[in-house]
Amino acid sequence: MNKLRLLALLLAIGPAVRAADLPALWAERVKSVVAVEYYTETETERRPTVSYGTVIDREGTIILPPVAVNSRMTPTQLKDFKIYRPGSAVSVPAVYLGQDALTGWHFVRAAEAVRADLIPITVYAAKSVTEPALAEEVWGIGLRNRDEDFAPYLLVSRVALIQSLPQRTAIALQEVAGPGLPVFNRAGEFIGLAASSFGQSFVQFTRMDRSGSPVILVNVEESSAFQLAAEVLPHLGRVPGNVFGRPLAWLGASGLQPLDPDVAKFLHLENQSGVVVSEVLEGSPAEKAGMKARDILLAIDGAPLPRLKPDHVVVGYLEREVARRVPGRTMAFTVLRGETRLELPVVLGDEPRLMSEADRKYFDRIGLTTREFVYGDAVALRVKTGSSTGVIAHFVKPNGPAAIAGLRTDDWIKEIDGVELKTFAAAAQKLDEIEADAQRAEFVLLVGRGNETAVLRVKLK
Amino acid sequence: MLRFIAASLALAAPARAAMSRGFNELFDAVVRIDVRERAFEDGARRLSASIGSGVIFSKDGLILTNAHVASPRAIELSVTLASLERVSARLVGWDHWTDLAVLQLDLAEVKRRGLKFTHADFGDSDKLYVGQTVYAVGTPFGLTRTATRGIISNNRRYFEDSRGVNGYETGAFNTWLQTDAAINPGNSGGPLVTEDGKVIGISSRGYLGANNLGFAIPVSTARRVVEGLVRDGTITRSYIGIVPKALQDFENFYALALNTGMLVDNVDRGSPAARAGLRGGDILLAIDGVKVDGRFPEQLPPIQNMIASLPVGATVKLTVKRGASTAVYPVVTEKLESRVGEEWVLEKWGLSVRKVTRTYARDNQLDDATGVLVIGVQPGFPADVAGLSRGDIITKINRQPVASLATIQAIHAAYLAKPQPVLVEAQRNREVSLYVLKP
Repeated sequence: MNKLRLLALLLAIGPAVRAADLPALWAERVKSVVAVEYYTETETERRPTVSYGTVIDREGTIILPPVAVNSRMTPTQLKDFKIYRPGSAVSVPAVYLGQDALTGWHFVRAAEAVRADLIPITVYAAKSVTEPALAEEVWGIGLRNRDEDFAPYLLVSRVALIQSLPQRTAIALQEVAGPGLPVFNRAGEFIGLAASSFGQSFVQFTRMDRSGSPVILVNVEESSAFQLAAEVLPHLGRVPGNVFGRPLAWLGASGLQPLDPDVAKFLHLENQSGVVVSEVLEGSPAEKAGMKARDILLAIDGAPLPRLKPDHVVVGYLEREVARRVPGRTMAFTVLRGETRLELPVVLGDEPRLMSEADRKYFDRIGLTTREFVYGDAVALRVKTGSSTGVIAHFVKPNGPAAIAGLRTDDWIKEIDGVELKTFAAAAQKLDEIEADAQRAEFVLLVGRGNETAVLRVKLK
Repeated sequence: MLRFIAASLALAAPARAAMSRGFNELFDAVVRIDVRERAFEDGARRLSASIGSGVIFSKDGLILTNAHVASPRAIELSVTLASLERVSARLVGWDHWTDLAVLQLDLAEVKRRGLKFTHADFGDSDKLYVGQTVYAVGTPFGLTRTATRGIISNNRRYFEDSRGVNGYETGAFNTWLQTDAAINPGNSGGPLVTEDGKVIGISSRGYLGANNLGFAIPVSTARRVVEGLVRDGTITRSYIGIVPKALQDFENFYALALNTGMLVDNVDRGSPAARAGLRGGDILLAIDGVKVDGRFPEQLPPIQNMIASLPVGATVKLTVKRGASTAVYPVVTEKLESRVGEEWVLEKWGLSVRKVTRTYARDNQLDDATGVLVIGVQPGFPADVAGLSRGDIITKINRQPVASLATIQAIHAAYLAKPQPVLVEAQRNREVSLYVLKP
């Protein structure tokens, strides 16, 4: 009892003693953060995006949070990456390296000129990484907007809660850092990376509902949640070798759903969790290994799936287990099928061509971007992957001829003028011809939408 | 009161007696229908009440009304005659596709109580012209025996609604009469008549919030439906799975002569037409050698009706143009089925369900018609507590595939006798989850 009291006293005094160091700690640690600006080029516009990044090595490598880039964009649409140091109006160029599948981080690399002024976050990592205590004071850096030269400012909070989501994540009393920026303890040790756009609840009295109802407001410039250092430091080496982040481990079991505790109990799985497989994708490693829809996954390589709260976190756990492996590795699943248990060793594959990797082409006169039909489209449309042809309407220009004809984004264009489109190139050639023909007044598309088709007449004049 | 005025008009104006007598006879054949029906939606067995109109059209007390007034969900049908006497009736049959139902007055009761009624005559709805005066008679907002006057605004309106009759499909096989005679809720099922009192339509629907845009089912359609309902209690139609679209201004593109052919907008996956090789974008030229003309939307229902009228299981030869070539495709018809299946409530679980039909399965890209759709849960009851919600499809219960309502009813009955946890497998969109219903 006395020991505990002493410990509590020490904890209370400790930060107070070091508090005087904060300005010095701040002056150094602010060199680990940058603002990153880039442009997203779409068919009709060019839009700047600003995100915050943390420096991870001496080569000027910077990590950005997963939401820094809209997942609908392909890397080739991301242009003119620039780095701004806090409080500086001067930018230096950077290159985009790609996104890591496990952490979701986007990696960029700053030009040589600025590297000497940056300090990697690893410098501030504790010798032995431990979790912060509940109620411990923590602090971080926020960055103002571009018109204020990304001026850095101090955010201070205390740890309110630590959860496994499945990554160990601390939730602070209030905002503690800009999303994607580091969080420190009072000793100045790196203890975590602020998660992006974590919701804050406020009771809002809306006009619609007189009694008022709580709504979630998200402050996109500050975050009150951070992933602990142990979830960050081991993955800093995962710099993508290419902009698509390949190789990407692929299982091919989709629609994973957690078992709730009542169901687990019913199935005599008291101290663990399970995941129901809704679909096993055609030609996938899971299918080849004999996995079936409605199988319940119980363990990976002999280790039972943990019980995590809330229930659906176990799905994230399983997906991360796949993502941390490489294609070609065997992942052994223990599966409950009906009332029998099976062992299914699955040799992970490489993800089929992704939508972000698919070829695209914009046709300005028609007001349409076509995209190559990829595996994910066949899955979404529930058609056989091999036999499928056609292209996807990736972008339909508002009020353009295609839009007026009724074409919508994500429609599946199967035929043009009654001719089946066998390949992306064939579709592009056909549309090129139509665009080049100034006399052309109209053409006809056969499109699939949901499980129906429609004939659309596109008028060019 | 209204009847008194009408009657005295007849006496005071002998010069117009011919028209007035017909109209008065009709007026005496119009009835108010009070319906009490089962409602399954909230995970509990409930009753709801509504009021509609109808018209007696035969000496033996057959009444024509709307399917959305009297459906198989009705447990009590009470008819108010012109004499204001109430008589019970039973449902002979209904057809939501044309929004028509036929009731039979309880003749034994009529006889026992010494009641009298008259019946109306059908006119010829094919001979109506736009601008012709018509009257709607019925029970708007419960105001018994109300007549309103208007004209035929359009005699061939195309109006298809996949949920138009209490969630059931309607309007694919008939066009509608449009009138500006005021049609309000409660007019449903009442007759639309000419000045001489001949029934030329059954008032069915109006646009809410619009001014006097009312719609009635033409009696030419009603005659056929009545015949079928009286004979078989149901209307059986054929299905091949093509969704039509008006050719309108596509003729040039498809190199067709004017007024030839109908565009196939979609072929349902797994349907007879799909199996026969038809595809979206095909042009249907003829059905069993009979040429079709689907240039305008209002021409589509008769073509659809032509297909629907074929015997189930018959082979129909469709002449189809695709690109430059024309070929004949033999297609074997199936029985047409609604998207809406039979409903039930499992009260102890607070769970309302509807059987998944082949059509529902097709629309929602399900593998087959196994399962029941959750249409309601009662808060605080086992289904709600377990996490089931509206729109889920229960595919298995205690590891047994739910092939029919009987499967789930049997397990519910066993639960009533001995409450024990029940394992439920359900699908939401494309995701499969497990639930436990706990006592």
